Amino acid sequence: MIEIKGLQYRLQGKSILENINLTLADNEFVAIIGPNGAGKSTLIKLVLGMLDMQEGSIEIDGIAQAQWLKDNSFGYLPQHEEFDRAFPATALDIALMGLAGNMRLGARFNATHKAQAMQALEQTGVGKLAKSLIGRLSGGEYQRVLLARALVAKSPYLILDEPEASLDRPAVESFFKLLKTLHESGRTIITISHDLNILSKYCSFLVCLNRHLHCHNHTELVDAKMIHKTFGESMHIIEKGY
Amino acid sequence: MFSFTFMIHALIGAVLSGLSLAIFAPFVTLRRISYMGEALSHIAFAGIAISIITGINLTLGTLVFVMLIALAISWLARKHKLQEANTISIFLSLSMAIGIIIISISKNYSFDLASYLFGNVLLVTRSEIVWLGILAVLNILFVTFFYNELFYLTYNAEMARVFRIRTSLVNRIFMLLLAANIVINLKSAGIILVTAQLILPAVAAFNLVHKLSYAIVLAAIIAIVSALLGFFVSFQMNLPTGATIVVVEALVFFISFLGAKKRGF
Repeated sequence: MIEIKGLQYRLQGKSILENINLTLADNEFVAIIGPNGAGKSTLIKLVLGMLDMQEGSIEIDGIAQAQWLKDNSFGYLPQHEEFDRAFPATALDIALMGLAGNMRLGARFNATHKAQAMQALEQTGVGKLAKSLIGRLSGGEYQRVLLARALVAKSPYLILDEPEASLDRPAVESFFKLLKTLHESGRTIITISHDLNILSKYCSFLVCLNRHLHCHNHTELVDAKMIHKTFGESMHIIEKGY
Repeated sequence: MFSFTFMIHALIGAVLSGLSLAIFAPFVTLRRISYMGEALSHIAFAGIAISIITGINLTLGTLVFVMLIALAISWLARKHKLQEANTISIFLSLSMAIGIIIISISKNYSFDLASYLFGNVLLVTRSEIVWLGILAVLNILFVTFFYNELFYLTYNAEMARVFRIRTSLVNRIFMLLLAANIVINLKSAGIILVTAQLILPAVAAFNLVHKLSYAIVLAAIIAIVSALLGFFVSFQMNLPTGATIVVVEALVFFISFLGAKKRGF
C-alpha cells in the first residue's frame, strides 16, 4: 500500500502539487490522468524517490519511503529515457539492469538472471531482439525493452509514465492486456495515461490530478463533470476502434 | 638505446601510463566527460602552486587537491543538479586563476609551462614507475570488480539509482581514481597526452567493437602498442616522445574510423 499525506511540491516558486492526500491499496490498477503540467510525472517521481520531498510524507507498506527504498525498488517505465544511441548495450543488458540492484556490489549476472531477463523480453514481445544493440531499436521496441526491465525488477509495484506514448494503437491494446495479466498475478500497477478509453477498460482506480487531487474514484465514474474539473475544459470521450 | 636506465624507465612509464588511462577511457568517452581529463589537469595547476607555496610534497599536495575538486564536481552535479560541464568549467577557471595568482606572488619560482603541457617521459624515476604500476593494477581491479555498476552508471545514472544499483560509491571511487590517474601521469605525460590517452584509444576501440568489455581491452592494447611505437619512432627520429605517442594514437583512430566506415559498423 502506498500512502501519501500532505504532499506539496514547488519548482522555481511555482506550485506543482498542492496538499496531495492519497492511499493506493495493494493490487490496484491505478491510472493517473490530468492535463499537461498537472504534476503527474512529478507525483510519480516523488513516489520513486527521484525527486527530494519538500513537504508531506510517503509511506510504502507502512514504512517511510526513504527506508523502504533502501531494501526495495519499484519497477519503473519512464515516458522518455534519454540514451546515447551509440552506447554499446544490447536489449538484454538493459533488461538485466532491473536485476542489478538486487545483487551484492561487484556481483556478476549468472544464467538464472539472464533467463529471467530473457523471459521478460519475451513477455513484452521483444525476445528476438535480445542481442540487438539498443541504438538499432525503434522507439516502440526500446520502450518494450524498458518495460521488460521494469518487470524483471520483481517489484510488487509497477509504475509507468505514459506507456502508450511511443506505441502505435494496436500495440497499446496488447500492452495494456499484458499489464492486466501482471495485475491479475498480484502486482499493483500505477500508470499515467491520456487514453481514457483504454483506461476505462483496464483500470480499477482513477486518480485525477491538476496540481490538486480532484478526485479518485472507480473508472466507471469518469464523467464529463469530473473531466472538466480535472482538465479545466470540456472533453468528449471518443471510442477508438482498436 | 636501452643501455641507459632512464630509457628503460621511460619506456615502462609510457606503457603503464597508456594502460592506466586507456582503461578509464571508454567510460570517460561514453559519459561525455572527456574534457574532464583536460579540466582536472588544469585544476592540478592550482594544486601544484599551493604545494609549492606551502612546501608540501608536490605529488601528494596536487593529488589531494585534485581529488577534492573531483569529488566536489561530482557532488554538486548530483546533489544540486548543476550541469557537470558547467561545474567543471567553474572549477577549471577558478583553479587556473588561483594557480596563476600564487605563482605570480611566489617570486622565487619559475614555472615550466612546456613540461606542464607536454610532460617529459624521460624524467620518470623508479619510484614514479612503482606509482604508475600500482595505479594500473588499481584501475584494472576497479573496472573488473565494479564492471556492472560502472556499466549502468555510464548508461544512465538516474535510472541506475531508481533500480537501486549502488552507483554513488562507485562513482566516487571512479572520480578519485580518475583524478589520481591524471595527477600521477601529469609529470611524464603532460596535459596534452593525458587528454589524448583519455579519448583516442577508446574512440578507436569503439570503431572496431560494440561491446564495452571488449572496448576496454582493445583500448588498453591500442594504448600500449601506440606507446611502444611512439617511443621507438621518437627515439629513432629524435622527436618529443609524448607528442609522438599522441600522433600514433591519432593515426590508429583514423585507420579504425576508415575501417569501421568500410564495414558499415
